[in-house]
Amino acid sequence: MSRSAIPQATLLLSLFIAALLVAPLLLPEFYLTLLNYIGLYAIVALGLVLLTGVGGLTSFGQAAFVGLGAYTTAYLTTVHDVSPWLTLPAGLLVTALVALSLGLVTLRLSGHFLPLGTIAWGIALYYLFGNLAALGGHTGISGIPPLQFFDLELRSGREFFYLIWAVLLTIILATRNLLDSREGRAIRALKGGAVMAEAMGVNTPRSKLVIFTVAALYAGMSGWLYAHLQRFVNPTPFSLSQGIEYLFMAVVGGVSHVWGAILGAGLITVLKQWLQDWLPSLLGKSGNFEMIVFGLLMILVLQRARDGVWPMLQRFFPQAPVHGPMIKAQALPRRPLPEAGSVLLEVTDACKRFGGLVANDRMSFCVRAGEVMALIGPNGAGKSTMFDGISGVDPLTSGAVSFRGQRIEALPARAIAQRGMSRTFQHVRLLPAMSVIENVAIGTHLRGRKSFVAAAFRSDRGEEARLLQEAAAQIERCGLAEHMHELAGSLPLGKQRAVEIARALASDPCLLLLDEPAAGLRYLEKQALAELLRRLRAEGIGILLVEHDMDFVMGLADRVVVMEFGQKLAAGLPDEIQRNPAVIEAYLGGLE
Amino acid sequence: MDLQIALLLGQDGITNGAIYALLALALVLVFAVTRVIFIPQGEFVAFGALTLAGLQAGRLPGTIWLLLALGVVISVIEASRAVRERQFRRIPMILLVNCGVPLLLAGALFALSPAALPLPLQVLLALLVVVPLGPMIYRLAYQPIAEASVLALLIVSVAVHVTLIGLGLLFFGAEGSRTKSFTDVSFAVGDTLLQGQTVLVVVASLVLIVALYFFFERTIYGKALRATAMNRTGARLMGISGSLAGMLSFTLAAAIGAFSGILISPITTIYYDSGFLIGLKGFVGAIIGGLASYPVAAAGAILVGLLEAFSSFWASAFKEVIVFTSIIPVLVWRSLKTRHVEEE
Amino acid sequence: MKINNSLVGLLALAVTGFASTATADINVGVTLSATGPAASLGIPEKNTFALMPTTIAGQKINYILLDDASDTTTAVKNTRKLIAEDKVDVIIGSTITPNSLAMIDVVAEAGTPMIAMAASARIIDPMDGKRAWVYKTPQNDAQMATAIVEHMNNTNIKTVAYIGFADAYGEGWWNEFAKIAEARNIKIVGNERFNRSDTSVTGQALKILAAKPDAVLIGAAGTPAALPQKSLKEKGYKGVMYQTHGVANADFLRICGKDCEGTFLPAGPVLVAVQLPDSNPVKDVALDYVNKYEGAYGKGSVSTFGAHAWDAGKLLANAIPAALKEAQPGTPEFRKALRDSLEATTNLTGAHGVFNMSAQDHLGFDQRSRVMVEIVDGNWLLVK
Repeated sequence: MSRSAIPQATLLLSLFIAALLVAPLLLPEFYLTLLNYIGLYAIVALGLVLLTGVGGLTSFGQAAFVGLGAYTTAYLTTVHDVSPWLTLPAGLLVTALVALSLGLVTLRLSGHFLPLGTIAWGIALYYLFGNLAALGGHTGISGIPPLQFFDLELRSGREFFYLIWAVLLTIILATRNLLDSREGRAIRALKGGAVMAEAMGVNTPRSKLVIFTVAALYAGMSGWLYAHLQRFVNPTPFSLSQGIEYLFMAVVGGVSHVWGAILGAGLITVLKQWLQDWLPSLLGKSGNFEMIVFGLLMILVLQRARDGVWPMLQRFFPQAPVHGPMIKAQALPRRPLPEAGSVLLEVTDACKRFGGLVANDRMSFCVRAGEVMALIGPNGAGKSTMFDGISGVDPLTSGAVSFRGQRIEALPARAIAQRGMSRTFQHVRLLPAMSVIENVAIGTHLRGRKSFVAAAFRSDRGEEARLLQEAAAQIERCGLAEHMHELAGSLPLGKQRAVEIARALASDPCLLLLDEPAAGLRYLEKQALAELLRRLRAEGIGILLVEHDMDFVMGLADRVVVMEFGQKLAAGLPDEIQRNPAVIEAYLGGLE
Repeated sequence: MDLQIALLLGQDGITNGAIYALLALALVLVFAVTRVIFIPQGEFVAFGALTLAGLQAGRLPGTIWLLLALGVVISVIEASRAVRERQFRRIPMILLVNCGVPLLLAGALFALSPAALPLPLQVLLALLVVVPLGPMIYRLAYQPIAEASVLALLIVSVAVHVTLIGLGLLFFGAEGSRTKSFTDVSFAVGDTLLQGQTVLVVVASLVLIVALYFFFERTIYGKALRATAMNRTGARLMGISGSLAGMLSFTLAAAIGAFSGILISPITTIYYDSGFLIGLKGFVGAIIGGLASYPVAAAGAILVGLLEAFSSFWASAFKEVIVFTSIIPVLVWRSLKTRHVEEE
Repeated sequence: MKINNSLVGLLALAVTGFASTATADINVGVTLSATGPAASLGIPEKNTFALMPTTIAGQKINYILLDDASDTTTAVKNTRKLIAEDKVDVIIGSTITPNSLAMIDVVAEAGTPMIAMAASARIIDPMDGKRAWVYKTPQNDAQMATAIVEHMNNTNIKTVAYIGFADAYGEGWWNEFAKIAEARNIKIVGNERFNRSDTSVTGQALKILAAKPDAVLIGAAGTPAALPQKSLKEKGYKGVMYQTHGVANADFLRICGKDCEGTFLPAGPVLVAVQLPDSNPVKDVALDYVNKYEGAYGKGSVSTFGAHAWDAGKLLANAIPAALKEAQPGTPEFRKALRDSLEATTNLTGAHGVFNMSAQDHLGFDQRSRVMVEIVDGNWLLVK
């Protein structure tokens, strides 16, 4: 067997790090200064990659957090003579506290309200910095002491270089670790999959707060470094324009990619320097053309590379998605299932109104452990709405839902998921850019404990192995073993539905809500699905099934409820339903 | 604070708020139709005001050069596309619209001496020079990426804004200008003076809002824009071109912006970079309206104007802090009321 | 014989000629704010550099101009670039106080002298090891503030309200003015701020009116300073108005128009150069600058801010010959010698005043560097 080649990515990374190590010895002073600034900006842009690129939360206020970090150290070192190394945790603490308070308010803002909220406090903090005399007002604080590393004072760009880039590389590593973990999957689901994530038990507000605070901490760290590099702070670098510039850098570089942050920061900084150097000789000294040319160039770049420059470059270095070997780990503990035959779910007089339209009208039924209950009806009967009401995705207007003896109609989806209910969706809700096993692993979210800190420091590997093993087991169970590491978006629709089922199973439910699981499957696949559902039933899981394929349903279901126009038309055993004249009239096709 | 001061502050707040409201309308309009958060909206305010000031001072406003340059670039792009598609018949029309009209305008400015013209004609000339910049900017900067994400379009807006600010400094210099008052009349209301110009601003804003209302409700083009705003693909299927809708909405936005600039430039000095903050406050109003509702956006903008006026009385150093911190509870309230549909 | 003599003569000439051109050019690095909020200050400065001499004492001078867009980080970056890449012998800049303060550490570490064109005394005071490398040409805001307070004392003004920019300029002026006014028994009854880009200051104006001060001081620069003045006049303020030297350009008069009639401001003598008495040594130098600037950029285009750059040039022209005797340009010794030579400047007449530097005072101005000016009939009138 041939020696496996070193993955191209690792090779490039090693070259990059080697270049960084050697740079201060070879490059002239000013280039190092530039690289230092690029490093500082990249640290902030990295926070934006996490917050905006991955989490979908646009923030213009990162510059204010940079200011918090910078001013904390400036104030403490000049007024109270605190050692700079102690002001770092102090600055990070201040930044974290402010971020948490601001986040609790602004992260509730949905959609477009959020960016404006970030602009609002970005401006407010800027003017606060400028107006507090203790912080030097608009004129600023000078005389900030340099950092001291034992006997070496970090004064020049050369000396600071290693510190800044070491911090940056550490943060990149931590961010990548964070994204490649249980919490990371939850974060990656925030953009475009939040509803699904909530149904799988992810606490999305908490995840949003986490990335918001982490992004703020990165910015605060950058501020601390900036203050000790320049040894002078005033409010100008922390204004709204700078906040816009950070976002600009992140987007131009590639806002969904961790390396896009460095690329964006580097591109913009270097471009501005070039323009400053070359434009006067090209266009004359009379006017100031740098801004104009810069803006024009950026428009051109963004038109050619909408997702940023990094994805464009990646096309030149195509790489198959890398995944490590599956580590054998201890299986996850299973939830004790309720006694077969006991009532799992009881729906009483459920009503759901959308304005004047009544989608569910006094629906009542129950599902028992170890049985398959089918919910059938014509299109538009309100079946998916019923599902959404039961699972907490779109709560009912009135009525009662009991699950395992507890009333759940007012609970959020994630609380219901925690109690042992899991579901699939009529319109497949997968994250197309993640692999099948990662998508399924989202289902295991509630079965893990490790926090984002553990993820960043990689101390969650044991638990992660167990979660992934569980996900792999469910994938195999659903017949998808050969697609395990493919991107979920590349599968045909029928297989995507199977992924949804695997994901639901991965949460170890006692009640499974399946919304048209057989749609798009071929005959043999449907047989396999029916076989799987029978096995699950035998294990004691309750299944509530919505389906249109009558053969499939009637051959599998223990009991059937028929809905029409939001109301219960009929309920009973499959044979009874098939003979019920009202059902035949409404749904199965009346005889003329 | 007594009643008189409160009234004066209210008057000031509503005047500024009226301008912010107009800009908020323009921003909501552009966003709804094209999904572009049009940050350079404020630059049209500045360009409109400063072009008029230039005309009144007898100088050739630099904006005409921009108009010519953009016209030439568009002609080249469109003409080469026509050549590629072998539709040579389109070329004369392309050249006429994109190069001919700006040249005609430039010629008119050279031939006439704008400083001597009556005010309405000067205003008309200024509008003729500035408003076509809107659709041209759409055509060059946004149309190629019309399908991109909102974030990408936003960042392009930032780039356009930077370019326009740079051009503004080049054309108009760092010092500002005021234009002549439309009217020097002032009314005595109780103890205070109500400036005629202020009344004009509010009245003109109201007229413009009503006109826009009729445009959207009664004319076919207005309905076409609303259709595109609601469902772009559906509108396309009905034969409404997305590009046309985009250019039309940008024309309206440019017209509203330039006109707002002309309205306030007699009352205050406008600088090449004044547009950004004015646009930002309009943006606040637009967001309060959820980037969807015109009346709420206008109301939000007026609220910002009033907040600004009163907080500059109470604590002028912290004015910005107060205004922007007060916006947050409003946003929270609006956010709770609007049930946000998660995916686009 | 004759040929031999002329040959020797030619040879001698060649050798000496060679010697004078064998030394390197002098590089002067300039960072100023030609864009951004301080553009109206920075652009005249930039324009002035085009008028500066290109040789001093037979040495060629290169001016390398960079724009820092009124941003501190960019100013520091520019300074580092000028020092490391362009190997400048002296730095001139920046236009505004925060930028200049940020540059101090950089120039001190690199041992490069710096001449700032910004207002605050904090740039050169208190003198320490770092500030030993820093000089400035604009009058300190303390000096200007004292002129105003003296004028107020002389005209029996008892109460004053202040409205200034919400930035370093307005803040610096407030600090100085408040200190001096308190010392001279003038009561301050209002302290308002406004932003450069504000479209209205109604709230601030109303509050000031309610306090009924005898005089109002507006601490702003450039044409935005006209906004509070016009606003106050519109609302019927009848007291005395004071402006700062930041408004000393023709655009301000144009914008302010009739509302500025009777306003007092302290200014550098270059503003009213023509009206200075002939005995004043500053007159000739100031007129020379005004003529040169207006010759290149048009009548009425001169601004006092450009003159600060001109004075920096004059300081250099005066100091370089002495430094050249000590060392070659491009060496640390030359920069040290230049620093020493600048510190030794004595009785050098600039467009803004007469410089007499010392180890403790790196500005060196006296009474002759400021005059009180009144705006009459839309023109600057020297107050005798």
